[in-house]
Amino acid sequence: MFGEPIQALNNALSGMINTLRSDAQALDSLWISIVTFDREVKELVPLTELVNFQLPEITCPQSGPTNTGKGLELIYQKVTAEVRKGTDTQKGDWRPLFFLFTDGKPSDIQLYREMIPKIKSLHFGAMVGCAAGQLADDSMLKELTGTVVHLDTADTNTLRQFFKWVSDTIEQGNKSMGTVESVALPPPPTEVHLVI
Amino acid sequence: MITRTAGSIITKGRTYQYVDNGEPMRGGMKDVYFSPDRSYVVAFYRDVQDFNSRERLIKIVTQYYDSFFNKEGGNYYKDLYSWPTDVVELDRKIGIVVPTYNQNFFFRKGYATSDLIRGKEKEGKWFASPKFRNKQFPLRLDESELGNWLSYFQVCVNIARGVKRLHAAGLAHSDLSYKNVLVDPVSRTAAIIDIDGLVVPGLFPPDVIGTADFIAPEVLSSKHLDVKDPNRKLPNRLTDLHALAVMIYMYLLYRHPLKGGKIHDLDTEKDDLLAMGERALFIEHPTDKSNRPKLNQLNPKELPWADVTKVPYTITGPYLKALFDRAFIDGLHNPMQRPTANEWEDALLKTTDLMQPCSNAACDQKWYVFDNTNRPACPFCGTPHKGTLPVLDLYYQFRESVWKPENQRLMVYSNQYLFQWHANRNVIRNEKLTQEQKVPVGYFTFHQGRWVLVNQKLDSLKDITEDKEIPLGSMVELTDGKKLLLSKEEGGRVVIVTMANK
Repeated sequence: MFGEPIQALNNALSGMINTLRSDAQALDSLWISIVTFDREVKELVPLTELVNFQLPEITCPQSGPTNTGKGLELIYQKVTAEVRKGTDTQKGDWRPLFFLFTDGKPSDIQLYREMIPKIKSLHFGAMVGCAAGQLADDSMLKELTGTVVHLDTADTNTLRQFFKWVSDTIEQGNKSMGTVESVALPPPPTEVHLVI
Repeated sequence: MITRTAGSIITKGRTYQYVDNGEPMRGGMKDVYFSPDRSYVVAFYRDVQDFNSRERLIKIVTQYYDSFFNKEGGNYYKDLYSWPTDVVELDRKIGIVVPTYNQNFFFRKGYATSDLIRGKEKEGKWFASPKFRNKQFPLRLDESELGNWLSYFQVCVNIARGVKRLHAAGLAHSDLSYKNVLVDPVSRTAAIIDIDGLVVPGLFPPDVIGTADFIAPEVLSSKHLDVKDPNRKLPNRLTDLHALAVMIYMYLLYRHPLKGGKIHDLDTEKDDLLAMGERALFIEHPTDKSNRPKLNQLNPKELPWADVTKVPYTITGPYLKALFDRAFIDGLHNPMQRPTANEWEDALLKTTDLMQPCSNAACDQKWYVFDNTNRPACPFCGTPHKGTLPVLDLYYQFRESVWKPENQRLMVYSNQYLFQWHANRNVIRNEKLTQEQKVPVGYFTFHQGRWVLVNQKLDSLKDITEDKEIPLGSMVELTDGKKLLLSKEEGGRVVIVTMANK
């Protein structure tokens, strides 16, 4: 991701963090971590309580491979190590939510496919794949999760709407629950296509 | 940004404008749009509303609206609720029209350190979580937003009154929660919103089971059953009473009464379901201590409130303790035992008569409840009470020359007022009081080294100990053991003075 889309992404992400930081429930319970994956895979921000979270500028190289598989590998390690499980004496953490954002397709397909069952075994509370732009490959993401959002363009407005939806998803827990069991995800904004 | 118009389905030809900027505020079920002048909102249901729901909404904005507000005393309730005034339809979507909340329910300052939430709604969660009042928390609320401990008693009185009135009309709110009750400790008010989910037993079933933290145990433990299963428990008046009790506990103690250290299951979600449902247990249960919060696992930003040994629920005084026991011990799994909204209102009001200002100017809470000891001290900052402390116990005439205790007292502090509802048991301290009844009849003050009661409006105040009338505009000294008759009229009370902290 390069140029305007990455600017727009940074902008939208920071808007989302601000939305969450003005939500009492989110401030009370939410921790966030960001992992980027291109040629390199790195944990850009380690798991941090929302109140102390500082969003860095996300940058990507102009060209090169997209190591989605390696990214999943790191996520798998981190979640396994950092999300507290319940024990006889201590309550566990809530199930984490996982949002994957990409404008391309995995270059390391074999590793990507190897990681999919492992990632699924982590039982995320929700797993959302977001494919932004014409080059993004929905079908690869759909192998990972049933919930894939396709953004035709990665412009500021579309992204802002998308991240608004992401924060709605995160905030879902403090809203009224229906008498009949329903899908946990709120309906996505109108500008994006939800591929299910 | 487009201004749209939706028509009332009740009054033909009446229309409402709203501004559609493509990004409505999103509630659990509705998308909310402001009117151009922001004096009301139009909230559209995202899902198609069936016949029953439409009927319910129509009834809420017509019949129930009239019976709540177009009667004597109706104005008082206008501030307690954000009640829908009309039902509209546009493109087969049903919406309700609701007046915008009073200005006091929006943050004037918000966070102490930034403007991020200035102008945002004062949802209850801001005031129920201890973090937002911890001086070490980077996004804490500004001190000007927090009020003092007494403020929350008045806030809770308003919530209890709002619930009481609904229940008196045979209605249940069904989803009392942080989101649905706005609170303002600055003006000491509260407003119940999201009235459109009202449940009328037998007529309109609930469509939500409530919001996490406030759902009654019986509702959670039966939520796996089908809606039509006879054993399935859905929100009703009694589950409102659970939510009300939780809310009052949280606004006074800033922690959840059922969220303790007990582990029910290694799976977090199952554990939570059991802890709030089938196996719910009061964290301060006097004999079963297995759900006490584990001190080593508490977030330091939640102290001291999260520590039930430092801030036990008994600091709320004897009347509220008794009700918390009924709500979270006897009535937790036995809904019929839960205190009614009216009982909460009464206990909260009686407790405010037990309150003393803390003499430590830097005390965060400023007020505390007299703990019935001879050496009272503020439970929050530890500052001992300075000087003598007159305690007035109230008695009523049971029969000629026999007086019985009311189980009610009034703690005196300088500039404390005496009202008709103290002087006469036939005057009930509730929202129906007339303006005249809200005028003090006397006041207490520490004058030249003595505690005195100054008589402003008591026609028949009498010092029984000295057998002396106390006419209007004169004063009587409060001494240990002194008996005063406050009124000779029917229902008039006698007070007996005890001097504490001698």
